[in-house]
Amino acid sequence: MDIFLSAIFSGTSRGAIYALAALGLVLVWRGAGVVNFAQMGQAMFSTYIASTLIAHNYSYWIAFIVALISGGALGALVDLAVMRPLGRKRSSSFLDSPAMRSTVPVIASLGILGVLQAAAGIIWAAEERGFPTPVNSLGLVIGGKSMPFTAFDLFVMGIVFLTLAATTYFFKGTGMGLAMRASALNPEVARLSGIRIGFVRTLSWTISGVASSLAGLLVTPSANLSPNTLDLILIIGFTAAVVGGLDSLLGSVIGGFALGLLISFVNVYDAPEDIFLAILIVLLTVLIIRPQGILGSKGVRRV
Amino acid sequence: MLEIKDLVTEYGSVKALNGVTLSAHEGKITTVIGANGAGKSTLLRTISALEHPRSGSITWKQKSIVGLSPENIVRLGIAHVPEGHAVISELSVEENISMGALFRMRSNKSDVKKATQEMYELFPRLDERKKQLAGSLSGGERQMLAISRALVSRPSLLLLDEPSLGLAPLVVEQIIQTVNDLCRNTGLTVLLVEQNANTALSVADHGVLLSLGTVVADLPAAQMKADVALRAAYLGY
Repeated sequence: MDIFLSAIFSGTSRGAIYALAALGLVLVWRGAGVVNFAQMGQAMFSTYIASTLIAHNYSYWIAFIVALISGGALGALVDLAVMRPLGRKRSSSFLDSPAMRSTVPVIASLGILGVLQAAAGIIWAAEERGFPTPVNSLGLVIGGKSMPFTAFDLFVMGIVFLTLAATTYFFKGTGMGLAMRASALNPEVARLSGIRIGFVRTLSWTISGVASSLAGLLVTPSANLSPNTLDLILIIGFTAAVVGGLDSLLGSVIGGFALGLLISFVNVYDAPEDIFLAILIVLLTVLIIRPQGILGSKGVRRV
Repeated sequence: MLEIKDLVTEYGSVKALNGVTLSAHEGKITTVIGANGAGKSTLLRTISALEHPRSGSITWKQKSIVGLSPENIVRLGIAHVPEGHAVISELSVEENISMGALFRMRSNKSDVKKATQEMYELFPRLDERKKQLAGSLSGGERQMLAISRALVSRPSLLLLDEPSLGLAPLVVEQIIQTVNDLCRNTGLTVLLVEQNANTALSVADHGVLLSLGTVVADLPAAQMKADVALRAAYLGY
């Protein structure tokens, strides 16, 4: 029973992080039509910034805030410096065809990932370093009884639920959120309504950057920090987004939690080596039975 | 008010507009009629900057608006209701309307509220369906919503693209009549693109007949309606 409970808790807390990563991917996919492979590279970069600040004796919280801000700034920078110029005039009719129009930004995001990883290697050297947690990550003991979860698990869940609540409010309850949904659903009608879709697009990249750097900060304590550590989270986050439906924010969150639990159960009841096999099976099953994902809309491009 | 001169718009090597000259008269309904492929929609899309003209000029209140973005053109008081009941199906009726006023929300919140209320008075059926998704509305209701989305920005010029498309005659009558009333009561200028020439000419002040991207006639609406030879040659009845 204890094993089961602890699998549930660690799965939920892991799932919360995957949900954030998936959310970041879906935000950019819906807002800009790009599958952003650089996302966790951006997160890795901002986590390094936090790690450097902590090494210079700044408090965890200052490092945390600075990392989120730089994550957002990096997201905006990717859009302004790379994606926007790419979206303008193309040099040849081949590059201007619809297929290339949607492919070029994706290839560019892979390039950005490479640049970020190389830059991190140059700046911070490629050796792994640890990353602290703000609260204890050992099993919590309450009234002499050890609990099946850690204080850090609770911290992660709390902060992710807060983020999800804030995101939901932003999209459903504010004018800017409405502008973002409208631009993603029908850019032409949005523009005719006076919505500045260029700004909205950059904002999608920014919010996605913040969400993924948050995922990076929360996941790194258990994985150590190196230029490549977060690649794994990208793969899991991407699977979560596809399982949930690439164009649904809620779906991506559900997909994240589902994968977190799956991984946790495989880890506990089977063997860690089988985790990727399990992920692959889930991904294939969803793609065969329901290619649009759990909550995705039909007619959306199939992955 | 709106003056268009020698406008040329191309899709690849096809000239959709081949030197169009016309104007929309202040406080009047000008209708642009013509067969499929005459360039009617392209004309409206070029005015609202969804397409870029190759050459020619578009002047609004004595200033050129060529080269501006659609986002800025709506801020100058030109609202475009594109073809096909253009609403966002996944958003509610309420959200579709407030979308049209987002850009004035900060500068004039009280007027946005007032304008929104006016839309519900204009089309009471939208008021009843406020919370419903736009995708669940009937074709006529969707057209009303698309028009409300444009009007809530308080435009002085309304570009209306084929509002009758796919609608029952009775609904068309109601929508056209509403637009007509708006024009007569509030001084709204309307540029109405229609394939349904009879309906359009019955409410319009001026008629512009477009064929293969060029203006073949620009007459008072009544005169155009009476010109049997013209209709037979270009509209086929």
